[in-house]
Amino acid sequence: MNKSLFKKVLANPLSKAGFIIIICVFLLAMLAPLITPYDPDDINVKVILLGPSWQHWMGTDGLGRDVLSRMLFGSRISLLVGLVAVGISTAIGILLGAIAGYYRGWVDTFIMRLVDVMLSIPSFFLILAVIAFLTPSIINVMIVIGLTSWMGVTRLVRAEFLSLTEREFVQASRTLGAKDARLIFTHLLPNSLTPIIVSSVLGVAGAVLMESGLSFLGLGVQAPQASWGNILTDGKDYIQFAWWLSLFPGLAILITVLGYNLLGEGLRDALDPRSGSSK
Amino acid sequence: MINFAFLNNNLLKRNAKASGVFLCLIVLSSCGKPSQDLTSEYLNKLNKTYPSQSGGTLIDAMIGEPSGLISMIAGESASSAISANIFNKLLKYDKNLDLEGELAESWQVSADQKTITFKLKPNLKWADGKPLTSADILWTWHAVIDEKTGSPYASDYQLVKKAEAPDPLTFSVTYQQAYAPALDSWSGLQILPKHLLEGQDLHTTAFAHNPVGSNYYKLDGWTHGENIKLSRNLSSVLGQAKIDHLVSRIIPDSSAQFLELMADNIDSMSLDPIKYARIIPSRPELQKKLALYKELGNGYTYLGFNLKHKPFDDVRVRKAINYAIDKQEIIDGVYLGLGINIASPYKPGTRWSNPNLKPYPYDPAKAKALLKEAGFTDNNGDGILERDGKPFSFEIITNQNKEREKSAVLIQRRLKEVGIDVKIRAIEWASFISRFIKTGDFDVVVLGWSLSLDPDQYSIWHSSQQAPGQFNFIGYNNPTVDKLLEQGRLELNPDKRMKIYHEFARVFLEDSPIVYLSAGYGLTAIHKRVKGIDNPAPPAGLGWNSYDWYIPEPLRRSETGRNEMSAN
Repeated sequence: MNKSLFKKVLANPLSKAGFIIIICVFLLAMLAPLITPYDPDDINVKVILLGPSWQHWMGTDGLGRDVLSRMLFGSRISLLVGLVAVGISTAIGILLGAIAGYYRGWVDTFIMRLVDVMLSIPSFFLILAVIAFLTPSIINVMIVIGLTSWMGVTRLVRAEFLSLTEREFVQASRTLGAKDARLIFTHLLPNSLTPIIVSSVLGVAGAVLMESGLSFLGLGVQAPQASWGNILTDGKDYIQFAWWLSLFPGLAILITVLGYNLLGEGLRDALDPRSGSSK
Repeated sequence: MINFAFLNNNLLKRNAKASGVFLCLIVLSSCGKPSQDLTSEYLNKLNKTYPSQSGGTLIDAMIGEPSGLISMIAGESASSAISANIFNKLLKYDKNLDLEGELAESWQVSADQKTITFKLKPNLKWADGKPLTSADILWTWHAVIDEKTGSPYASDYQLVKKAEAPDPLTFSVTYQQAYAPALDSWSGLQILPKHLLEGQDLHTTAFAHNPVGSNYYKLDGWTHGENIKLSRNLSSVLGQAKIDHLVSRIIPDSSAQFLELMADNIDSMSLDPIKYARIIPSRPELQKKLALYKELGNGYTYLGFNLKHKPFDDVRVRKAINYAIDKQEIIDGVYLGLGINIASPYKPGTRWSNPNLKPYPYDPAKAKALLKEAGFTDNNGDGILERDGKPFSFEIITNQNKEREKSAVLIQRRLKEVGIDVKIRAIEWASFISRFIKTGDFDVVVLGWSLSLDPDQYSIWHSSQQAPGQFNFIGYNNPTVDKLLEQGRLELNPDKRMKIYHEFARVFLEDSPIVYLSAGYGLTAIHKRVKGIDNPAPPAGLGWNSYDWYIPEPLRRSETGRNEMSAN
């Protein structure tokens, strides 16, 4: 099945593009120390704010650091934050969704009202408020994004569980005396993975954007560590003069987010039997 | 340190207030604005000389909006920048920083140096036509020292033992003992109208948003979050200013301000070094229409140690860090050469600055030796020094100010080279002050002081000034310095006083409770349509004669459009 899924995704040119983008970004991030021409933190006040050239493909920033090197190292931060944050939110989402969907009753009501409450708070401002109370750092950013974006997954998992528990194979298994844990982990969860995967991939895109936004506002990754949002902030004061400081991180964020979104959409089409458009 | 100053001071001051930033704002305002064609005809007009004439509107921009225009309550530069145009003081500094009368015609200091008697100019009037008398000044003094007012400037005036207004033109104050900064303090207190404020709560009065003063301008309109408009006060006690209207637009982001400057929607703004030294010179169309001004400010940027935290209580550690920081690199790299390496906390070149003191040179070897002496060694070979098994690691906090953040990054790298691990955190101004500075919850800060013209720095460095909210938040406590600061306040002979402050600066440098990073220049761009500006700026600063600035009629904006150069 895995192979056919893979083929299905690659059959769609858009999701193929997304897949390739994500692979490239991951490769660049992993190989960053090998391919960066300069140390990303190497300050050289003699070459402040130089435009792109053969020495510095993406120019230099306000402290004479090589933007390309900072971009490559920044990609690690963006991807790490994206993956860990989504890992956290997905884990919470699955847990709460499974409990709500399987046990129903007042637990379900409680969890779903909690979801409603969380969803009614604009998440970006909630995150801003929480970060303002904590020390801004990568770890806090990952945790906070994770803790504030599990609601979608919870709803999805619950919905899947609600419908799956009515299905014959689950009923049969229960009649044969299967315990809750066995039902949940061997029957219900594996069968609801499809929407979870899709929403996680799309969630990574959101988390990457969120991290960039927080770093842009000075509440995310702290100097001198490079992240795309940080580089963008440095560039905003000189957006008309040192365009390379805004353009490259902006493009990087755009392309990565686009990549995740295309891949997510492609996965959904490939996995969802109801959307018959894909082959 | 009070920083009241002159008209348009907000141009000259880099406001420390952090700015909320919205990318969309930048993007929106950067697109779709065709740049003005600078025809040679217009340039000729700009560069011609014109006779002084009155009229026109000057538009500038401010980062923060004042909380109110009673500056003794607001205690912020945004407020005093506007209110200085509306209210008068007893005394002011002239072009060369000598005191002269503003409301006062003359003043006399008694033989025992304890009593100052001011004689007011005759026929002073408030903008509403009521007479301005010594009763207003006495009332203002009562207001500023009143505990209910809670003015941050109260301490200077609380030293007055007795204040009297025996007749409408006479106001006298008597101090417990001679107080050298007294005259300076009276050049800082904006006089408020008693007849409008008596019996009111200064914190809640509508007057703060609808003031009546006596100076060159009166408030015309205040649109919150947008602008504050002033117009000429026709009954000004000091004569008439040339420019009819002053508009201060509130633009909380300096890049947005710069876009407005380029689009000719504001006439002036303060610049950072990169805009001053790189961006404007690289753009001929800006160079043609903007005049750039640079003046050494009365202030400096520093790195300060929390002396109550270990190991910064050890002078060897403080000195080591001082030696390990390359200040010239910060001046060159962050301030693009627009700064001066200093060794005393006074403006270089003034009498108070001790010319014999030399800044700590960049000497990492000496720094390492001092750290070793203080007991720091690298035992585990990770490149970071340890003492008692704990690595030497601390956090530098600063407010969200680009130059300070960059300075901190340079310091971080230099300190790493001598084996100190530094983390950096830039914090939004309000929480920076309330959560870290007032509570003393920090290791090391990078901050700046902007200073008044009097050399008295009792409120910053005297050991008695360490309560939360007071200025000696690094906890500096040196009996010798305490004594010198006390003496300096009592000594009225300028030469003896100078010696006291030279000695203070020497002891202070030796003690190294702070590391001077740079005394920076105030950098300002003003549209060339504004004439009558002194260049180079006199000691009193660019804005000292701004009431005499004028905008010749052919260069004024047309009244209707916002975006026209002029009807050329």
